[in-house]
Amino acid sequence: MTDQVRRGTSRGFSGVVSPWWIAVTALFLVVFFVIPIINNLLNTDQLVTLAKQRPASFYYEKLFTDPYYLGIVADTVTLSVGVTVICIIIGYPVALFLVRHAGRWSGLVIFLLIAPLLTSIIMRTFGWRVLFARRGLLNDFLLWIDAIEKPILFLNGPTSAVIGLVHVLVPFMVLSIASVLRSIDLQLEESARILGASRFKTFLKVTFPLSLDGIGTGFIIVFLLANGSFVTLLLLGGGELKTLPLLIYQQFTISRDFQFAAAMSNVLLAIAVGCLYLQLRLIKRKGVKG
Amino acid sequence: MSSNNNTDRQSLELVLRGISKRFGDVVALEPSDLVVKPGVLLSLLGPSGCGKTTTLRVIAGFEAADTGSVLIGGKDVTLLPPNKRGLGMVFQNYSLFPHMTVADNVAFGLRMEKASEQEIKRRVGEMLDLVQLPGVEKRFPNQLSGGQQQRIALARSLVTNPSVLLLDEPLGALDKNLRETMQFELRRIQNTLGITTILVTHDQEEALTLSDQVVVMDQGRFQQIGTPSEVYESPETRFVSEFLGTSNLLSGDISAPTDSDDRKVTLQYGEVKTVIESPGAPSIPAGPATIAIRPEKIVLSKRSPEMRNVLQGIVKGHVFRGSYHAYEISVAGRDDPIFVYDQAGERSTDAVHPIGSGVYLTWKRENSVVLRD
Ligand SMILES: Nc1ncnc2c1ncn2[C@@H]1O[C@H](COP(=O)(O)OP(=O)(O)OP(=O)(O)O)[C@@H](O)[C@H]1O
Ligand SMILES: [Mg+2]
Repeated sequence: MTDQVRRGTSRGFSGVVSPWWIAVTALFLVVFFVIPIINNLLNTDQLVTLAKQRPASFYYEKLFTDPYYLGIVADTVTLSVGVTVICIIIGYPVALFLVRHAGRWSGLVIFLLIAPLLTSIIMRTFGWRVLFARRGLLNDFLLWIDAIEKPILFLNGPTSAVIGLVHVLVPFMVLSIASVLRSIDLQLEESARILGASRFKTFLKVTFPLSLDGIGTGFIIVFLLANGSFVTLLLLGGGELKTLPLLIYQQFTISRDFQFAAAMSNVLLAIAVGCLYLQLRLIKRKGVKG
Repeated sequence: MSSNNNTDRQSLELVLRGISKRFGDVVALEPSDLVVKPGVLLSLLGPSGCGKTTTLRVIAGFEAADTGSVLIGGKDVTLLPPNKRGLGMVFQNYSLFPHMTVADNVAFGLRMEKASEQEIKRRVGEMLDLVQLPGVEKRFPNQLSGGQQQRIALARSLVTNPSVLLLDEPLGALDKNLRETMQFELRRIQNTLGITTILVTHDQEEALTLSDQVVVMDQGRFQQIGTPSEVYESPETRFVSEFLGTSNLLSGDISAPTDSDDRKVTLQYGEVKTVIESPGAPSIPAGPATIAIRPEKIVLSKRSPEMRNVLQGIVKGHVFRGSYHAYEISVAGRDDPIFVYDQAGERSTDAVHPIGSGVYLTWKRENSVVLRD
């Protein structure tokens, strides 16, 4: 654990990569990322739009006092937390299997995890639409085994959105948990075993506590990605489910209220920055302890 | 499992019967037998990769043996998982739980036995006293030095009163001084508790000074089992003799076994033919054989002594080593020099036998041993 942190902080530039290469990336990020964000922060105040000009505070007030919008903020966070928790529940056993039992198949498992990430997120989401459609594979199957009498409307609701998001995000959870699990010395588990702990107790008292850092990292990554996800929710949530990104999209394309959209994206950004700060704290704490 | 009888758990006898283990094509352990009497400290000594750790892991239950059985106190535990064997184990890298305090580390085994918190507190205190580290309960393992971590690991493994203690190179990661202190410490604790102990090491000195019994291992085979002085003074095989230090090895032809203990070995160095006598195991057949003589058992003299085992040579080198003179002597017709440590009481640092002078080498017949290959 300690080693990992140390490796992380002391990782210098290897001979292969010249420090100047960073400059290209940095320039790209400044032009296409930092400047737009700064611009956006100012937008709330200045952009002249079709809507009436109002001070910035009006939009934040509206977002945090109007029950409708407040509900959307709460829904966004709830959805993200829910998706993240499901990702942990599904991802942890997979990570454990990958590290402890896959053996020479671990390469294959990692490939299976990462391969979906190589296809477009839109393709994957449409895949779910095909499966979940009124006369899709799932309904056909359930009808065929007589489990249901008429097709269930899976689509356009929270269920399909959550399934879609989990599908997209679970690899991130698996990989961050697996990397920490892999760093746990097997002799720690053997020590617990010889001291009288059953397999389950060993997992509970040694393996799991030592893998909490991986869960923490995975939580933050998945939470952030879920928070900002848009395409999946648009295609699978079908308007039933409203989250901040969808609302921002709506404000831009339908209401043309750019200022309100900017205010909302700033809130989203603040949540993200807050999470990253938490993560930094987590790493710092580990660093001090090590 | 056994919850309250732990405090009076006896140290037990450990028996290995025909245990073997292979990993794919690698034979880590040939079928082997071993009996460790209660309270005995036995060392497994051998070069890297000879199967010491494998033996220990089979005893602990981390590796399933391919053949044979493990008996602890007469009870067959071959099929029991590690947590049901009632053993203690210390690993080379301490392996303390980094997320627990020292107290929680030491208490781990007791918690698994569901001991009461009161009992735990008492036992943890006792153990920390035993390893002479009282007052570190609240610290985390990474706030301790290597030697302290090692002591805590020992305390943790002893707290449940295991019937057998397994130590896999417990002192390997310590520097030389600390290592020696800890060797004495280990022996003291082992004596105090009278616990049957198996110590894995590849350090000859550690094995010889620390243990009641030594098993010398090579290539998955127990080459020799005996007390430290037995394996040191009378190695049975060439490997044991070479592994336990600089023995002079003389190769020749051994005569057929007779009723008496004596065996005659004919050495053929060029033109010179010498017949020497040695007590030999009757099991060794007539034919080519090697005998070993320790350098400190050879006596040098200027005139031909009135003894039977005599070789003639010329002094090629000399070093004074503080308590003895080390000579390097070449014998006509023999490629390797013969080493002789002369403990002669003279105060002088000068050689009694100057370089270039002729000397006679002689030894008592019981000081040479015939080796199996
Ligand atoms: N899990 C394993 N898989 C494959 N081969 C193994 C495994 N464990 C041990 N071996 C092999 O078995 C042999 C004995 O290994 P073992 O670890 O018992 O040696 P050792 O005497 O403890 O050596 P060292 O002093 O280096 O610790 C070695 O050849 C090793 O490569
Ligand atoms: Mg080993």
